[in-house]
Parts: sequence; structure tokens; C-alpha cells
Amino acid sequence: MNVSALFMQLLPEAVLVITALVLLGVAVATERKTGRSFSVGSATGIAASGILLALLALGRVPSETAGSSLVLLDSMARLGKGVVLALGLLAVLLPPGQKEIREPGEVLALMLFALTGLLLATGTNHLLFLFVALELASLSLYLLAGFSRSARAAEASLKYFLFGGVSAAFLLFGLSWIYGFSHAATLTDVALALKSGVSPLAMAGLVMVLVALGFKLAAAPFHYWAPDVYQGAPATSVALVSAASKAAGLVVLIRFLQIGFAAVDGSAAWGSMSAGWSLWLAVLAAVSILFGNVLALAQSSVRRLLAYSAVANTGYLLVGICANAPASTGAALFYVVVYGLATLGALSLTASVERHQGNDSPQAFAGLVHHSPLQAVALLIFMASLAGIPPFAGFVGKFAIFSTAMAGTIRGEGSGITWLVGLASVMSAVSLYYYLCILKEAFVKESAEVRSDRLSPGHALAIGIPAVALVVLGLFPSLLLDPIARAVAESLAAR
Amino acid sequence: MTPAWTILSAFAGALLVLLLPARLAGASRLVALIASILGAVAAGVACLERLAHPDAAVWESNREWIPSLGARLHFAADGLSLALLFLTGVVAIAGVLFSWNVNTRPRAFFALFMTIIGGVYGVFMSRDAFLLFVCYEIVILPKYLLIAIWGSTRREYGAMKLTMYSIGASALILVGLAVAYAAAGGTSFEIAYLASVKYPLALQAWAFPILFLGFAVLAGMWPFHTWAPTGHVAAPTAASMLLAGVVMKLGAFGALCVAMPLFPQGFEQWSTSIALLAVIGILYGALTALAQQDLKFVIGYSSVSHMGFILLGMAAATHWGLRGAVLQMISHGVIAGLLFGIAGRVVYERTHTRDLNELKAFDLWKTLPGAALAFTLATAASMGLPGFSGFVAEISVAIGLWQTYPWLVPPVALGIVITGAFSLRAMHKAFFPERNVGDAPPPTLPPLTGSEKSAIALLLAVSISIGIYPKPWVSLIDEGLRSPLFQSILAHP
Repeated sequence: MNVSALFMQLLPEAVLVITALVLLGVAVATERKTGRSFSVGSATGIAASGILLALLALGRVPSETAGSSLVLLDSMARLGKGVVLALGLLAVLLPPGQKEIREPGEVLALMLFALTGLLLATGTNHLLFLFVALELASLSLYLLAGFSRSARAAEASLKYFLFGGVSAAFLLFGLSWIYGFSHAATLTDVALALKSGVSPLAMAGLVMVLVALGFKLAAAPFHYWAPDVYQGAPATSVALVSAASKAAGLVVLIRFLQIGFAAVDGSAAWGSMSAGWSLWLAVLAAVSILFGNVLALAQSSVRRLLAYSAVANTGYLLVGICANAPASTGAALFYVVVYGLATLGALSLTASVERHQGNDSPQAFAGLVHHSPLQAVALLIFMASLAGIPPFAGFVGKFAIFSTAMAGTIRGEGSGITWLVGLASVMSAVSLYYYLCILKEAFVKESAEVRSDRLSPGHALAIGIPAVALVVLGLFPSLLLDPIARAVAESLAAR
Repeated sequence: MTPAWTILSAFAGALLVLLLPARLAGASRLVALIASILGAVAAGVACLERLAHPDAAVWESNREWIPSLGARLHFAADGLSLALLFLTGVVAIAGVLFSWNVNTRPRAFFALFMTIIGGVYGVFMSRDAFLLFVCYEIVILPKYLLIAIWGSTRREYGAMKLTMYSIGASALILVGLAVAYAAAGGTSFEIAYLASVKYPLALQAWAFPILFLGFAVLAGMWPFHTWAPTGHVAAPTAASMLLAGVVMKLGAFGALCVAMPLFPQGFEQWSTSIALLAVIGILYGALTALAQQDLKFVIGYSSVSHMGFILLGMAAATHWGLRGAVLQMISHGVIAGLLFGIAGRVVYERTHTRDLNELKAFDLWKTLPGAALAFTLATAASMGLPGFSGFVAEISVAIGLWQTYPWLVPPVALGIVITGAFSLRAMHKAFFPERNVGDAPPPTLPPLTGSEKSAIALLLAVSISIGIYPKPWVSLIDEGLRSPLFQSILAHP
């Protein structure tokens, strides 16, 4: 592969980096010249157009099926990059508050760097390159979490960084064991080595990698950073962590397990369980679903609630992956997009309510339907989608995950992973309770004051686009589900 | 005018109401009424056509939807569906008429109301399990909001309890459907296809109760019925009518047309337990209703009792039993709508109490003779007196029961006696109180309005017409029951 072809494949990432550098330069220059910080509006404009350009570039880059394993652009990578960019765009649109953040140029540049890392991570088979890409993203995210100058943000950032540092150590250590076993630096070679025999070394490495990725995805019990980050970090950063970063993490997980370690999947089916990542993921999923949903019940801050709901939703995603069937993998990818949209929208709405009310308790939403009927309807869409109620896309996503995961595991008289799907389904019903508590405030409660909430255009887009997308994808899921199914089939066919 | 008009008119009505400008908010009830009438007429016309040409092809609309999952937009309307569609249309019209006086946020009220109606129509016509589940779940949030915003007694608690029960039950349905889908190969959600697969016996034995229970909770099966009285009492009148009248029937419909045909051998193993729970429900609901002081609670518990007959007819699994179950769905839909309408709107809006002792002071049979007459007739229908729909339905269930579980007939007969007792007690206390000479004269109450009268007349007419001339309904239902779906569960065809 020649250098120009490599560069062509990396065009989206290159566009992002260039935009980030330009943004930084312009921001610093403006500040020197005028003595005031760069305006949020223009910084957002630059970053958003950079991401749009990257999306455009992604569409133009020719597919290189026989690419190097360092940077590969198979259909799954293309899909993952598209999703990460789109979700990242929505996060960028959510404007950082002037009071919260004094350096919008730097914040948005960091977000672009984080996105670059996530993009690179979705499109590589190389163990070391994967590590570097993930750390590029993580380091930017640690900084972003602490960017507003409050004690909460500092705590969030520090916690995120400490947990993240440990997880990075796990990742690197795990990868080194895998390398030690297979003498291979790419996932395809690891898969080959596994075909000729499995050693405990490789399995121990795999467990460590799972721990690290569990941290990135906020799966219980590796989720302890999530509530504090969701509560303390600026909304813009949280939006990036909760949506784009989760989507990228899921693609990495799929690639790692279903391409690299497809041979040691084991089984999570009731009555015929055997060791392997399928079983481990199933346990991780069950713990996440239980923990996330039960703890979310007790939250009095909507942001913390969304953090625990993120933990629970990671559990649903893992249900889709642990079945190790193309259909359920596709369903999980569909759900991560849908979940990302819903949680992004919910975070944007919470940020807007917080700005007007000063806090993010459910009570702050009281009477929203009177202040701003459109925001209330959007809230309804997000909460219903998160709870899995039709006709919104979250329902299709959950139903698709559960039914295809069952289809992938049920054999003859066996009950497959009905135990896990049953747990997930029942806990998902429980989750409606805490989402309804927020909706109750917004629709049922009256608030004493009369006001009308005005939204900045960025906010309006960050709320409006996900809301519309959730309705459209709920009614016509095939728009996204079909391309995903094709991409998964193509990428997994090679194994 | 095809049956598709039912769904279309309901959802179009909901959308139109939402889009009305604020100054025309009052017109929302008119839009809702027109949409409901359109739906009912579409269903009625389709029923008549079906009766005239019983051998003609069933109306069907089958489109691609989510090919990667195997879910299709497959609607069809055989006789059974049509009868239930017509019931829904009638209750919808009556519900709009009984809510003519809703003045707080009328646009939102009628939009949510029409959304529920649309979802119910959708369930009754779905031939694809995924589609059915979507339509089934669409009603959940509107139910919650209707009760929590416009309700009365402990509305937030009642709304939350009802919603959590519904969604919990839905979780079970989801698992049950996913099991069937997965075991059938994971290619299609078509109900007819899923029912044609022979699932292993061991799988049916555990999958059937999951799926059936999911539907039965919504049908108010004892001991999972407690959401029903609480929710129905808390709900605004139109919502109680809808909930007891048609939404509970969704559960019964799902149990009959999805759970039982999918896992017929599982059903065989569990049918005795279902019959027992149904009989307990009949007795328990009736006895509890006997002890209530709130008129709406009496009706709420009577619903639990009446829904027991539906489950019992299904458990009997004979032709008479299934026919009786569907007849009871229709009959109870109309009667419960009528009772809730009179208690919640006609009486409560005027007296601001539903307490049986406090109602004494109003001497309703003198101050509100129209309502007293209507309630008396509704009570008679509810008790299952001949000439009303309840009699036809319950006698069919009893015949079916005699064929399969003769030993359950005595307790059911006892249940019917207690039903008579609580109905008469409530009617007597609420409308025909014994008054002493020294009592203060009752206050004058405003007479029945036109919308109330027409709603009462409509519901009574349907109940009496079924009671006097059940033949068209029976032939519609029998036509539906001839579908291959039910052949595997019929013990005595």
C-alpha cells in the first residue's frame, strides 16, 4: 500500500486534525488581538463544518478491501466512522455555556481530537494502533471532563482520569499477553493463532482487554466514573462521552471479539454454559442491567440518572454482542446509534433546563409543557425511546437486540439466553418508572412561574435533530438497520 | 371504505387535533368525534359486508417493513377482528361524547385519546407479532398521561401503577414472542407462520406461561388484576371507558390470538390453572365489589369479575367457550363503558361524590331520573339478564365450561349470584336510596345533556341488540374462529 492511498483512507481524520489546529490557532490569535475569548458561535461553526467535511470525505474515500491492518476501511469501519462523526457533530452543536467555559476554541479543538482518536480506533486491526487511538481519545476526554472551573468538574475529571489510567494499563497489559501468545500484532493473525490452539495466556489477556473496554463502555462494575462525569463535566463533553465514544467502543469490542477471538466465544446458553467471552459478556450485561436500572431509581439528579441509564443500556448492547450472531451484532449497532441519539437529546434538554432553573433535579422540569411545548414533546420522545416504547426507535432497537440474540442462541429444546433476555426485558420495564418520573414533572406538574424558555440555535439543533431522527428511525428502522446488516455481514464474513 | 380507515381515521384525528391552533382548541372534540364516527362506520360497514359475503376474501394489507428482522406491516380483518373493531369504534364515540365537557388542555386530551384508539384498532388487525406488539405498546404512554393529567382520586399513583403493570406485562410478552421467533428460525414475525411451527414440548411448557401471563395481566387476571380497579378509578371518564372497555380486551385478544395458537401444547398443560385463576377472579372480583363504597370501585372490581369469564371461556378451549369469550369481550366492552360513563361523568360531575352513602342525599332517581333508568338497564346488562349482551356471552361461556370443566360450573354460578348482589346493592344505594321523612330535600341537579344522552343510547342499543339478536355477532365470531390459527387449541370443535 502506498502512502497516498494511506492518506486517502485517513482523509476524514486528517480533516478533523487540520480543523482542530486551525481552530486552536484562530482562537489564540483572536484572544491575543482582542483580549476577549473566541465566541462560542464561531468556534462551534468551525468545528461543525470540520466534522461535516470529514463526513463528506468519508463518503468519498474509496473502499480499500485489501488495506493494511493498521488502517483499514472495511464496511464496518466506514459505518462506525459515519456514526461517530454524526453523533460527534450533535455533541459539538451543544454550545458550552459562557459561564461554564471560557475557552470554547480549546474545548472544541479537544473534542475534534477526541473524535479523531475514536475514528482511528473504529478502523484498525492492529493491537498497538488500537491502544494509541483509544488513548488519544481518552486523554482528550479526561481534559474535556474537567474543563469547567468547578470543584465538581475537577472531581469528575480526576476520577475519570484515575479510572481511565488503570483501564489503559489493563488494556496494554492484556494486549501484551495476547501478543505473547500469538506473536501477532493484528487481530486477524491472533484469530489464526487461536485456530491452532488456545492457551490460558490468551484468555487472561482477553479478560484484561474486556475489563478495559468495559470501562470505556461504562459497563458495571467498571462504571464508577460515569455518574460523576455525567454530573460534573460540561454538557458538551458528556454528550461526546455518552454517544460517540460509546459507539466507537462498541465497534472496537465487536472487532476484537467477533473477528479476533471468534474461536473462543464459549456459550452463555442456559444449561450449556462454557467459558469464553460470550459467557463473560453475558455476566457483564446482567450486572450492568441490574446495577444501572436499580441505582437509577434512586437518583435525584437527571444527569446522574442518565449516567446509570447509560450503564443499563451498555448492558442491553452487550446482550446483542454476547450472542455472537451477525443479526444481533447488527441490532446492537443499531441500538447504539439510537441510544446515542436519545441520550444526547436528553442531555441537551437537561442542559437547557439547567440553564434556566439552576439545577438538574427532575423537579426542575416541572411544567415544561407550559413553558415550551416543543421541548416537552422532545423530552417525551427521548424518554420513551430510552424506555423502549414505540413508535420511537429505542423500541425497535431493544426488540431487535432481544429477539435476534435469542435467535442466535436457542437450539432445540434449550432455552438459550432467555435468562438474560428475560432479565433485560423486565429491568427495561422497570426503567420506565424513572423515565416516567421526569415526564410526570414535565407534563403533569404545574409550575408557579410563567416563563418561556428560549433556546440558542445550537441547542435547538441538538434537541431537534435527535428527536426527529428517533421518530423517523422508529417508523422506518430499515433506513439504518439494512445498511448495518450489510456492513456486519461483509465484515464478519471474512472470519 | 376498507377497515384500514379505522386506524387511519384515529391517527389522523390525533394529529389533526394536535395541529389545531390554540383559539380553535374547542373544536378538538368535534374533530375527535368525527374521527371516531368515521372509524366506527368503517368497521360497521365492513361487518355488514362480511355478513353479506361470508365467503369473500378477508380484507388484507401486507407490506414490507423491516426485512432484516422479518417484520411486516400485515393487517387483516376477519369476522372476529371486525366485531372487535366495531366495539372499539362504538366505545370511542361514546368516550368522546362523555368527554364533551373536558376543558383543560382539550387538544392534548383528545389527541391522546385518539392515539389509544388507533393503537387498539391496530392490535385487533395485526397479523404480524412485531406489529401487534408495537400497536400494543403505543397505548402505554397515552394511558399514563390521560390518567395522570386529567384523572381524579390518587391519579398519579393510579396512573403509575397501571403503567408499570402494563409495561411489566409487556416485558413478558416480548420475551415470549422472542422465544417463538428464535425457535422458529428467526426469520419472520408472521403470526400464522409462528403458529405453524411445531415447537418442542419442553419449550412450550415454559414459554407459554410467560407469553400468556403477559397478555393476561392486561386482561385483569387474578392475582395480577390490582392495577385495574385503581387505574380505572383514577382515570378520567373517557379513559376509564377505554381502559375497561377496550384496552383490557387487548390482553384477552393477545392471549386468544397469539399466546394460545403459538404454543397449543403449552396451553394444554396450563389450561386447568388458567381456568382456576379465572374462577377465583370471578368470585374475588364479585366479592370485593360487594364491599366497596366508591361507585367507581364497584364497577372496577366488577370488571375484574367479568374479565374472568373471558379467560374462563378461553381456558375451556371449546368452540362455545371461545365464542363466549369473544362475545363477553364485546359485551363487557359496551357495558363497562356505559357504567363508567354514568358513574364518572353523569353522576360524579354533578354530585362531586361517588361514595354510596353520600349519594343518598341526592336521591338520584328523583333528581336525575334519566341516569337512574340508564344505570338500571346497565346493571341489568351487567348482571347477565336475558335480553342483554351479558346473558348471551356468559351462557356461551358456561356451555363451553360444561364441556370441559363441569366441576367449575357451580362456583361460577355462585359468582353470577354474587354479581347480582353487588350490582343491585350499588344500584340501590346510589340511585334508589331509602330516605327518612326528616331528611333535607335533595338539591336539584342539571338534567342530562344531549351528548350524555346520545352516548348512553348508543351503548345501550348495542348491548340490547346483541342480547336480542346475537346471530350476526355469532356468525362474525364463528367465521374468525374457523381460522387455522385456532384449530390446534380447540378440544371439542
